[in-house]
Amino acid sequence: MSARKQGDGQPEDGGATAGKRLKIAKFSEDPEKKGLSRRLKDAEISLPIVYGTIAFYLGRKASESQSHKWTVYVRGATNEDLSAVIKRVVFQLHPSFNNPTRVMEAPPFELSECGWGEFEIAISLFFHPDVCDKQLDLYHHLKLYPEDESGPQSTKKPVVVESYDEIVFPDPSEAFYARVQNNPAVIVPRMPAGFNISAPVAPENTSERERGDTKDHPLSQWFMNFSEADELLKLAAARQQVQAHIVKLRRQLSVMDGMPQLSKPAPAYE
Amino acid sequence: MDAKDILGLPKNQLPIPQEKKSRPPKEPQRKPDGISREVYALTGGLAPLMPSVDVSQLKRRPPSDEKVTWQWLPFTNSARKDDLQLFHWVRVVNGVPPTGDYAFAKYNKSANIIKYTDEEYEKYLTDPAWTKEETDQLFDLCERFDLRFIVIADRFPSSRTVEELKDRYYSVSRALLSARAPPADITGHPLVKEPYNISQEVERKRALSMVLSQTKQQERKDTEVLAEAKRITESRMAAKGPEESELPAVANIGPDNSQRAITGDAVTPSTAMPSSAIAASSTLMADNASTLASLRMLRVYLRTYALDQMVQAASASAGLRTIKRVEQTLQELGVNLKPKVPTKAVCAEHLELRKEILTLLNLQKQLQYKEAEGTSFQDSPYSETPGTPKRAPRGDQDRPFMPDPLGFGGDRFGKRDQKRKAPGRTSEAAQSPSQSKRPRKMKASDI
Repeated sequence: MSARKQGDGQPEDGGATAGKRLKIAKFSEDPEKKGLSRRLKDAEISLPIVYGTIAFYLGRKASESQSHKWTVYVRGATNEDLSAVIKRVVFQLHPSFNNPTRVMEAPPFELSECGWGEFEIAISLFFHPDVCDKQLDLYHHLKLYPEDESGPQSTKKPVVVESYDEIVFPDPSEAFYARVQNNPAVIVPRMPAGFNISAPVAPENTSERERGDTKDHPLSQWFMNFSEADELLKLAAARQQVQAHIVKLRRQLSVMDGMPQLSKPAPAYE
Repeated sequence: MDAKDILGLPKNQLPIPQEKKSRPPKEPQRKPDGISREVYALTGGLAPLMPSVDVSQLKRRPPSDEKVTWQWLPFTNSARKDDLQLFHWVRVVNGVPPTGDYAFAKYNKSANIIKYTDEEYEKYLTDPAWTKEETDQLFDLCERFDLRFIVIADRFPSSRTVEELKDRYYSVSRALLSARAPPADITGHPLVKEPYNISQEVERKRALSMVLSQTKQQERKDTEVLAEAKRITESRMAAKGPEESELPAVANIGPDNSQRAITGDAVTPSTAMPSSAIAASSTLMADNASTLASLRMLRVYLRTYALDQMVQAASASAGLRTIKRVEQTLQELGVNLKPKVPTKAVCAEHLELRKEILTLLNLQKQLQYKEAEGTSFQDSPYSETPGTPKRAPRGDQDRPFMPDPLGFGGDRFGKRDQKRKAPGRTSEAAQSPSQSKRPRKMKASDI
């Protein structure tokens, strides 16, 4: 599945964001706006997310038009609450659905439906104003039927397809940084000592917070584990091999340079 | 002459330039008598310049009325403190031996060490860190060894560093100077104008020794970091505007600011490592800087998108075939073409791996060309198709080096080798087309 970044060609968004951008660029005494206009250069804030679908076969309760119950969602990679960064998620479904544009204003950002067909779901992420004024689009192919077509489908075991990705915000605004510097869902760069931005005091809404994260989500048992350690290990091993091979080849090349007159491959090789 | 008229300069101002002008036309035509032309040419002669050598002196013979003998005579050296008498050959003219001191005695110069009396010491020169005895010893050594502080430090009874000795000597001398002479007179004296700064000296020598003892690896890293810094500033010039500041870590490490930077380098080796690692990773491709810049222009992007862009930038110079081969190599190594967990670290490693594979493929191609040049026997029927194993010599060597992950490829290598080598060349011609087909077939089914 591919995730594509929204291009510059969304007229309404462009107009709205242009207005916002003007506000940001103008120097004003309003501290909130000041926080927006000052940005952390050469730093990036990244938000690791996992998005995907889980689909259950309905078994006996299945009908022609509704054979599966599936859920599409966007969650934090560590199941933390994403609402500090993401304001709203819009899922664009197949036109055959009623109201194919489904908007989720609050976490958990997910949507459950019943259907029979596989199609591509467009997921648009909208961020808080101090985070980013552009939306980010992801695409995910809804998979209902398992790989191996052996035997009847189980109602107990769903078909899970998840993708890990990280949303990168280059040169984040100071206000954004201040707000999320202690947020467990966000990866914040290490700032040099002495760099202090006080986090704004936000009213803690604990009940809402608990619902926001997906740690106790009913489907959490099916969530995939994404460990970068394995991948890193494999990559490191691969790099080592390639490097060793390069060294050998370089040595061979230098040997070759010393012996230009070879009429046949040297018998030594045989 | 006309130029002088135009400029309004007086004519015949200097006789010498006149002479010069009249001489050069003559010079090339006639060479001076008395010496051969070649010898004269050595002195820079035949060119129309004012000759710096008095030519007439060159072949002058001593006047014949002088009678010259050489005699073995004793002599004394006024530079010596003892009365040692040695012998040497002396040119005696008309029975009169030369007079005067030994010719080399005038070179026996020594440094002027200021001497102080005990009262002066009590009044001006006391120092908590130095006893009078030590100071006396120091000055004695300075006199004996002509202010060669390395030797003095070696001979000094208690262990003091060269800088400490220098500091003590110079401060004592300065104090004495200013005590003995009125202040106005000595402000020009170097000791007063530029006093010895011991802490600065210590620091400077330490920095020097660090630069000198840098390992090759560190030098490499430093240059990489510098290059990276330059690239960052360049990309930022391109991307944003004129006023940009360098990364704070990089600014600390620039070896141009040797003292400050090298102490910074020593003090913060941990910050040096990540930035040099980053530097190492993006040193290779210049495109990287522009890709990074364009990514920064976006307010938000996905890391997979960023990785795609960087991969594209890195393989911009490679053709479609090469890209396919890179991907094939990745698969053989057991690495996902698109990382399953694209964190920052993973993406960086992935990109680096791709670049290294590109280097590897380039090297293989180079080796191939070299071999093709070297061998007069052209194996064109089995000329390489992309993705097929390399020629025999490397094939043999590939197997031991990459046994497991390239097991698939290794088998291919092996089989091809056996077929090529054993029966002899002619039969290979028939077999190899099918041989080369087989690897491709295996490839197709694998995918």
